[in-house]
Amino acid sequence: MNHAGWLLDLYEDEAGLVLWLMQEDGTRARLAQPFPVTLYAAGPGPRLRALWRWLRARPQPPRLERAERHELFAGRPLAVMAITAPGPLQARRLFAELAQSFPDLTYYDADLSPNLRHAARYGTFPLARVEIEASKQGVIGAVETRESPWALEHDPAPLRVMRLEPDCNPARAAPRALRIHLNQPALDWELPLEPARALLVNLAAMLRRYDPDLLLTAWGDTWLIPLLVELSRGANIPLGLSRDAGRGIGRKKERSYLTYGQVVHIGPQMRLFGRLHVDIYNAMMYHDYGMEGILESARVTALPIQTVARSSPGSGISAMQVTVALRREILVPWRKQAAEGRKSARDLIEGDMGGLVYAPILGLHSDVAELDFTSLYPACITTGHLSPELMNSGAPGAERVPGTSLTVDRSREGLVPATIEPLLQKRIALKARIAQMPAWDPRRAQFKAQAAAQKWLLVTCFGYLGYKNARFGRIEAHMATTACGREALMRAKETAEDLGFRVLGLYVDAVWVTRAGCRAPGDFQTLVEAITAATGLPITLDGVYNWLAFLPSRAHPARTVANRYFGAFQDGSLKVRGVEMRRADTPAFIAKTQKVLLEAMAPAGSAEALARQLPELVRLLRGSLRLLASGQVPPEELVVSQKLSRRLEEYRLPSPAAVAAAQLAEIGVHLQPGERVPLLFTRGAPGARAWHLPEAVRPETLDLERYRTLLVRAAWSVLGALGISEADLAAWAIHGASYRLDDAPAPCAAPPLLLEARRRKAELAQERLGRLLEAKKG
Amino acid sequence: MGRTIPSATIQFLQEEESFARFRRALRREDQLALDHLFSNAHHHLAAAAYAAHALPFEVLLLAMLLEEHKLVLRMSSAMEKVQPLLDVLDAPE
Repeated sequence: MNHAGWLLDLYEDEAGLVLWLMQEDGTRARLAQPFPVTLYAAGPGPRLRALWRWLRARPQPPRLERAERHELFAGRPLAVMAITAPGPLQARRLFAELAQSFPDLTYYDADLSPNLRHAARYGTFPLARVEIEASKQGVIGAVETRESPWALEHDPAPLRVMRLEPDCNPARAAPRALRIHLNQPALDWELPLEPARALLVNLAAMLRRYDPDLLLTAWGDTWLIPLLVELSRGANIPLGLSRDAGRGIGRKKERSYLTYGQVVHIGPQMRLFGRLHVDIYNAMMYHDYGMEGILESARVTALPIQTVARSSPGSGISAMQVTVALRREILVPWRKQAAEGRKSARDLIEGDMGGLVYAPILGLHSDVAELDFTSLYPACITTGHLSPELMNSGAPGAERVPGTSLTVDRSREGLVPATIEPLLQKRIALKARIAQMPAWDPRRAQFKAQAAAQKWLLVTCFGYLGYKNARFGRIEAHMATTACGREALMRAKETAEDLGFRVLGLYVDAVWVTRAGCRAPGDFQTLVEAITAATGLPITLDGVYNWLAFLPSRAHPARTVANRYFGAFQDGSLKVRGVEMRRADTPAFIAKTQKVLLEAMAPAGSAEALARQLPELVRLLRGSLRLLASGQVPPEELVVSQKLSRRLEEYRLPSPAAVAAAQLAEIGVHLQPGERVPLLFTRGAPGARAWHLPEAVRPETLDLERYRTLLVRAAWSVLGALGISEADLAAWAIHGASYRLDDAPAPCAAPPLLLEARRRKAELAQERLGRLLEAKKG
Repeated sequence: MGRTIPSATIQFLQEEESFARFRRALRREDQLALDHLFSNAHHHLAAAAYAAHALPFEVLLLAMLLEEHKLVLRMSSAMEKVQPLLDVLDAPE
């Protein structure tokens, strides 16, 4: 029998693999596929012979063969023992025993997900269009994948989606009802949670009748699914959450871990079989790129949708590398053996650094062009052949990486460049497509989500080159990549200066330049071409700013930091980095005020025009201050969302987040490090109150003075660029001290360095000097 | 992703910190001038990192000097502009 459709789910069971197919006629089919799995062992002869005897003596011995396979770093074939088990599950059990009884041997391909093995063998990926030949009993004979994950556009799979969300956040209050939304047919219900029996009967009937492919829940991992399972067990009413009735639900425990200096918290996970479950509040990047981005990640990495949704882009890029290795018959090490190569202190001083981050030229600038290298590091990796196995390999003809003592063998294609090349090309093509699309095009949002998912994978690919636990990571390749990035940026700077541009800022892969008389995007075309020619890497004009402000550091006003800036492009759109409204812990009201100020500034055509707007902008700020003082700002707009950085008992001086978390702990809500604690600042001790306490907020307890300070500070982040000091702004906005734009004594101690004032001063000085000279002559 | 060599920013902060006792003993106005010197060096951290010099403080000193020299150049060019005026003022009656 022939089956055609989209591959929904794939997992292992006793008989091999189970494949769920969304068939073109709307039915869903469960098919079984026998799937023998091979793993490899290497080591000294006597130990391998002992292993051979041990495996032979088992009640169901696996198939054993002597084989030669390619080990990535060895550069020559390696003699290994191939151990083939009848299915992935048997292989996994066998390996658990092996690793314990023969811990001294080296194992390869030992812990690979069956999804990746299937992808390597058949080219499958989640929601791929496939054609399958199977017997009447549903046992698969042949699988053929009819599309490539690298195609720009694809037939979207007709996923039936059921959204399930409680009527309130269960961490805050006990929900009373469950809201249910179905996409096809479009239907909405609300089911009361009590009595449980009615809920279960209704929900089970809906699941049976509409048979959704994807349950998209709010708090499904942490609350809803565990609750439903418990109720269903208590009332003895089976729900059929998984389509595969025999499988129940797969659970994983919650965990917290440290990455890039941040504590990240992942809640417990509830996975279904034959149906998908994604919890929007426990999906890693859901808020970045939504379901479209998750589906794109699954397409290109071949990891199951339920896994991709809950894991970091790092697991995605590792998966892609494993699939490429399997296809090329390269052994995938179980635990990485390769240690870092020896380096001299000189090598480290030269090579152990990241991208170049220049302190930009402080202040407000007009007509600034921003040029960005497109996916700089991935482009360096692919054009420079920067793969771990090609670094310092001693191959004849290896080339030196500029600015380092590392060499790279460019005579062959490495594993990592081969993995990301198609992804990089897809992203570049997609970005080009988006750039040409009109703003109203409905596919724009989908393409953007896809591009965002790809971006994260590419960014992480570079990071994983330097990650000691990554299977195909090696610090030398990471060092070579950053060195190439620095060389590219340096050449971009030199090229720009040779062409008469002034370089205002350089940030890893971005360059900001100005030149008198250059305003139109076309004026920068020569520069774009010259940099591309000088570096061999694609660079594009991100846009031309009418005005752009680089801001000083908060802690050191005399120092600039590279990632605090904002500006308005010629089309009036804003780019804002590093100021309060971009931070997740800023209260909504303060972020909103800052946004209002920036939006009022956006239409100004130049830095000079902007400086003249100051009085009007201060009026806007005073409006917000009045609103705050009058108590009209709703408390939810004053909620500060701070991250808990450690466990409660580890705080010596409790931060507001710790104070609020302790209040929640008292009512039985326990937060983990890495979770955000929404809170309000209150007057007197202890100074903070958890937002999610059951009793209502009393507005008179709010520390309005603290909010006022935060508001003025946020406003100054933006208005400071016009030359006013924070103290002057506070005096003007809060106390109504007014300014005159001349050098007459101002009501504030320090006269502001307003551009107008400075000009006026110069004029007065000139007049005075003129009079003096006249007097002399006279 | 750990690094073996401290970044240029960390090295800068360590150098600055190593002068804490020196700074403490200075008069307040001199402390502010010293801070200014360090801020000037901070401006060139990217170049200092790229230089990968074995003795980072030498690069920081040069960066301080660089900003001082820029100031000298700016002031002498300003002086050149006002010099004719001063000459007129100074000219004997």
